[in-house]
Amino acid sequence: MREKETTIYLGPQHPGITGNMMVKLKVTGDTIVRAETHVGYLHRAFEKLMEARTWLQCFPIVCRICVPEPDPNEENLSRVIEEIEGREVPERAKYIRVLVLELSRLATYLLWMGGQSGSMGLYTMPQWTVGDRDYILDLFEQLTGGRVYHMYIWPGGVRRDIPEGFGDKVLKVMDYLEKRLKDYDDLLFNNALFYKRAKGVGVIDKNKAQEWGVVGAPLRGCGIKHDVRIDEPYEVYDKLNFIVPTYEGGDVWARAMVRRQEFEQSISIVRQVIENMPGGDFYNKIPNPLNWRVPPGDAYVKTESARGEFGYYAVSDGSLKPRRVHARGPAYVHGVSLLERILQGANIADVSFIMNSLGTCPPEIER
Amino acid sequence: MEVKLQVENEILDKIKHTFHSAEVSIPRKQRVEVKLRNDLIHPFLAYLKDTLGFKHLSHISTVDWLEEKEIELVYIVMNYDNLVEVIAKIRLDREKPEIPTLREFWPQVETYEREIHEMYGVNFLGHGNLTDFILEDWEGIPPMRRDFDTVKYAKETYFNRPGREDAQDVRTTITKKSGEEIPELAKVYSVRHLE
Repeated sequence: MREKETTIYLGPQHPGITGNMMVKLKVTGDTIVRAETHVGYLHRAFEKLMEARTWLQCFPIVCRICVPEPDPNEENLSRVIEEIEGREVPERAKYIRVLVLELSRLATYLLWMGGQSGSMGLYTMPQWTVGDRDYILDLFEQLTGGRVYHMYIWPGGVRRDIPEGFGDKVLKVMDYLEKRLKDYDDLLFNNALFYKRAKGVGVIDKNKAQEWGVVGAPLRGCGIKHDVRIDEPYEVYDKLNFIVPTYEGGDVWARAMVRRQEFEQSISIVRQVIENMPGGDFYNKIPNPLNWRVPPGDAYVKTESARGEFGYYAVSDGSLKPRRVHARGPAYVHGVSLLERILQGANIADVSFIMNSLGTCPPEIER
Repeated sequence: MEVKLQVENEILDKIKHTFHSAEVSIPRKQRVEVKLRNDLIHPFLAYLKDTLGFKHLSHISTVDWLEEKEIELVYIVMNYDNLVEVIAKIRLDREKPEIPTLREFWPQVETYEREIHEMYGVNFLGHGNLTDFILEDWEGIPPMRRDFDTVKYAKETYFNRPGREDAQDVRTTITKKSGEEIPELAKVYSVRHLE
């Protein structure tokens, strides 16, 4: 007897992702035959809005493109403007930017750990990691004034200098997180249940990964060593020591282990940054922002965010406002074409699990 | 400097040798910019992908040049071996923007083309699935085009909720409620003032 094909609408709100996105599943039994992504629940026309604002007014908009990880957006937009304009950034500002980016990466990984284990029913982990993420948000609050959205990195440097005694506080949090990592290992990464659940699930074909546009931890989980921080060093990443971990397999487990190793690397980078922080200016002043014309031109810059290559393509026509700003998020590829592909043949119970491991973030798809 | 840009120059020479009409430049390290004739984009990207090893499509972007009556498509592709990114640009007629699809090259192109079709009205011939992506049942000019007036659309489509019919500035409401004065500077330098 042929099994009947049923349609299931998963979403727009479900535990797999931060944001709203629907996946239409055609299933027989509990195996997925075909998956189709439906987006449009979070479209706020950011790119259109930016065309009607001055360059500096774009900053409160771009950080909203990704809720769990707003800093790569700010850094990218700053850097793309600097590249078009040819503006120099002081060394100290570059170090502070790396500090912010790495803290943001740690915060994102903590949130991801919670999501990943939450989607397999391990609810202790989110309680711990979301709580620990708050220590990083506290640091952000002291540094920038904002907990989630910072609007701290801007063209020419950063908005203000690091406060007195901030370095020690950061190091204290890093020590705590490092100690805490053992607990995470016991509960999630070395957990036999997680291994059994994640091994062989959501496999990305290694030979096709580059062609399919896979970036970030999912690509390194296929055994391909590619990291924007190494390939096209930005800010001061070429002066810092860190390794890029890779795992074979291309499944959820490999991606999780890559992120687990990167967590340690990020802690090490933060320590190096605090140790080597140079003195001097933190801001190369821009002219009056209300009368600030960026010279005509275009540029594409990219950052390694916690979920992969994050790029900004901006075009200036010499007026007060941008002609075009295009944000390229990793989720645009991971969350639509790749997800539809690797969900084929998966189990319904694994959909949220796979989406989480790919770092799907709908606001980035719709912008 | 010359030594450092060796890889970029090699790619530039190869492209120039194969596509004589292409304008090639090197804006900076790890970037090669190519301006092409419309009909050459397919053979060009096929050449980059299959012969020169540019496997990774970073993204496809669109810029509307309203004054010049053109729509620009920007393809950014990357090579994982020599880590150079090629930015290929073509310009389409704004009145009737049409170009054959690139779907067979990279699977993620389908999503990009659907979005560009929806937001800029570019018709990708042979795509086969140019259905709604982000918007639903959109009529009228595509919303990301420069001549689409966002404020006018919002005024026509949405209405103020009861109690806010006068559509006053939110700062005026705050002033009324708290008695706090708005600084003169903030009044002068509002977004509206710039327009």
